Amino acid sequence: MSDEKFNVKSLVTCTAPVNIAVIKYWGKRNEGLILPINSSLSVTLHQDQLKTTTTVASSRHFKEDRIWLNGKEDNINHPRLQSCLREIRRLARKRSSDGGNTSEKLNLSHKVHICSINNFPTAAGLASSAAGYACLVYTLARLYGVEGELSEVARQGSGSACRSMYGGFVQWIMGDKPDGKDSIAEQIQPETHWPELRVLILVVSAERKPVGSTAGMQTSVQTSPLLKYRAESVVPERMKEMIAAIRRRDFETFGELTMKDSNQFHATCLDTYPPIFYLNDVSKRIISLVHRYNTYYGRTRLAYTFDAGPNAVVYTLEEHVDEFVELIKQYFPPETNGEQFLKGLAVSPVSVTEELKSAIGMESCPRGISYIINTKAGPGPRVVEDTSLHLLGSDGLPKHLKQSA
Amino acid sequence: MSDEKFNVKSLVTCTAPVNIAVIKYWGKRNEGLILPINSSLSVTLHQDQLKTTTTVASSRHFKEDRIWLNGKEDNINHPRLQSCLREIRRLARKRSSDGDNNSEKLNLSHKVHICSINNFPTAAGLASSAAGYACLVYTLARLYGVEGELSEVARQGSGSACRSMYGGFVQWIMGDKPDGKDSIAEQIQPETHWPELRVLILVVSAERKPVGSTAGMQTSVQTSPLLKYRAESVVPERMKEMIAAIRQRDFETFGELTMKDSNQFHATCLDTYPPIFYLNDVSKRIISLVHRYNTYYGRTRLAYTFDAGPNAVVYTLEEHVDEFVELIKQYFPPETNGEQFLKGLAVSPVSVTEELKSAIGMESCPRGISYIINTKAGPGPRVVEDTSLHLLGSDGLPKHLKQSA
Repeated sequence: MSDEKFNVKSLVTCTAPVNIAVIKYWGKRNEGLILPINSSLSVTLHQDQLKTTTTVASSRHFKEDRIWLNGKEDNINHPRLQSCLREIRRLARKRSSDGGNTSEKLNLSHKVHICSINNFPTAAGLASSAAGYACLVYTLARLYGVEGELSEVARQGSGSACRSMYGGFVQWIMGDKPDGKDSIAEQIQPETHWPELRVLILVVSAERKPVGSTAGMQTSVQTSPLLKYRAESVVPERMKEMIAAIRRRDFETFGELTMKDSNQFHATCLDTYPPIFYLNDVSKRIISLVHRYNTYYGRTRLAYTFDAGPNAVVYTLEEHVDEFVELIKQYFPPETNGEQFLKGLAVSPVSVTEELKSAIGMESCPRGISYIINTKAGPGPRVVEDTSLHLLGSDGLPKHLKQSA
Repeated sequence: MSDEKFNVKSLVTCTAPVNIAVIKYWGKRNEGLILPINSSLSVTLHQDQLKTTTTVASSRHFKEDRIWLNGKEDNINHPRLQSCLREIRRLARKRSSDGDNNSEKLNLSHKVHICSINNFPTAAGLASSAAGYACLVYTLARLYGVEGELSEVARQGSGSACRSMYGGFVQWIMGDKPDGKDSIAEQIQPETHWPELRVLILVVSAERKPVGSTAGMQTSVQTSPLLKYRAESVVPERMKEMIAAIRQRDFETFGELTMKDSNQFHATCLDTYPPIFYLNDVSKRIISLVHRYNTYYGRTRLAYTFDAGPNAVVYTLEEHVDEFVELIKQYFPPETNGEQFLKGLAVSPVSVTEELKSAIGMESCPRGISYIINTKAGPGPRVVEDTSLHLLGSDGLPKHLKQSA
């Protein structure tokens, strides 16, 4: 690399959030453009607890595009990465040919270096591709001065990434155009809309690598009769009901729909041939705990949802967090000398009544849950103004690299 | 009881078989008459391995109807038992009013004693209610001289019991009449049609009592959108394909449909609210083993099916039994000093190639399976001519009773 310092205008750092779907996306009608067979809806989580940070640098001195993920160089030629880079550059070219200020114009023929890290472990299976691609697209867009609707670009990196382009409560409208221009994300309500809503991520120790989403949903679309019916006849109505429940802050309805949709997604996985199992024994125990808890109180106070992996996400209201966490510690006792069990927003110890305990009446499942993250709804992607937080140095290389084995 | 001996004409003993559905029944459109929301299809198993034996005695000396099941007196007022008794007596009255020989007429006002045993443990969860009600109805019909279509009566005891009224391959036509007169079982092919077909029952140690079928399917009908679609749009076509596959002795198609239907049934259980889980960790491992085995050979040689409980039933052809059993012993090693692991038809030890073992590549699951029953298709209910095998003595009471605790 040359000794010449790079123009700081060509270094941009942004952060982007994770999102957890309450109406699930599972199945594409178009693989190349990543167009889904049904709409979906998610809650964007707060970046204080979970976020991806990405720095992008552009320079005529770079010989080729390069990318580092979580401290290790990765393959820039991954088709999804190429989709995003290509699309952003196309939009950037369009912008400059529409007559943007020449002096701000970044030379689109220059190569870029991309460095991205998560503040949560990738091994935890916490839907990092959504945050990752959202961050990449947002950062590149800031670099190239591309404005406007970006969720379409993020979508082409990873479907659910489009929902991470906005904060709060977000829907991914499936669209019907063959070119996918109307398959975009849209904010339903901002993150300030429902301040009492809490999201508890129960990180479960993964025994074996589950079937990947891309291959899994392909097989489901090809083989599951129930999935087709779900997409055409169940989800459209559920989307309407969910949007209404969120608007009203109606947790009963929000919670019931969330649980039903999670179960139906996993039902279509079971109806796939060969069948796909994402729920494990711990998942079932969590489901059981939630239903017994809700039955005991005669209300839906907790709502579980599971993605294509073992982790559980439990939605609830702030007032119930402490008691629920206490129950988790009771029935899924953690390692006594392990890492910190509770992360994120504060949780206070409370005692659980004997009555509630006998209503739950489950066996203990030691170490079934590795740790809990207490978080809430949060904002969309943001620029990081503090230049000391750039992940790339003035030489365009990552400041921190993992030691090779 | 009087010392007077009873008329031996009024003592009848019969046996009836178990059946295992390959297209599943799950959900009623009419609770009282037990009318299903879809048709179903099963294989009747051979009575040498599994059967219910029932003796019925009728006498003017009996003060009330009584029933003993597996050595203990049970509640004769169970609504389903009453349905069967009532229906058979109604048909019997109809027959005598149609003018049969008076001297053979059994006095319908006499009470009956019923004694029934299974040659397999009830705790194994082996669908004994089908065999039990089929046997009861068949035996009572013989006692009262009722002939003709009886599956409609058995159906009112337990839905799947109607399929145990015939041998071989049997369908339960759902019917559409409100009175259920056209909701009957019908033999598709006799048990001699496919002599190479084998049925391996893998009896799994039950950890907890699963949700009962009657309540479970009620909740499914009330809450699962996917179940309604299954019944209306998937099963009718599958029934046709399955009947054709059986006629052609096409195991590829028979097996694939069997697995898909089992999975879809369990998918609708997961789509129930709250969700119902019948498949456990051992079930999933068996499913995995079957798919890997079939993939290795590039053909569907094994087909699993699971009912509303943990036991697995694996259909295959005779030529594959030995190797499959060897694999089961490999991956689900039995108790070394436990009871006999292999029951039923003979199985020969064979060795499994290293190539096959690495294709399976699963972890061992010790004691996951309690024992295996190797059986095949068998005939329908039959009269037991040997009078020494009556379960009731000449005093009308059971010859053998379990000691009370």
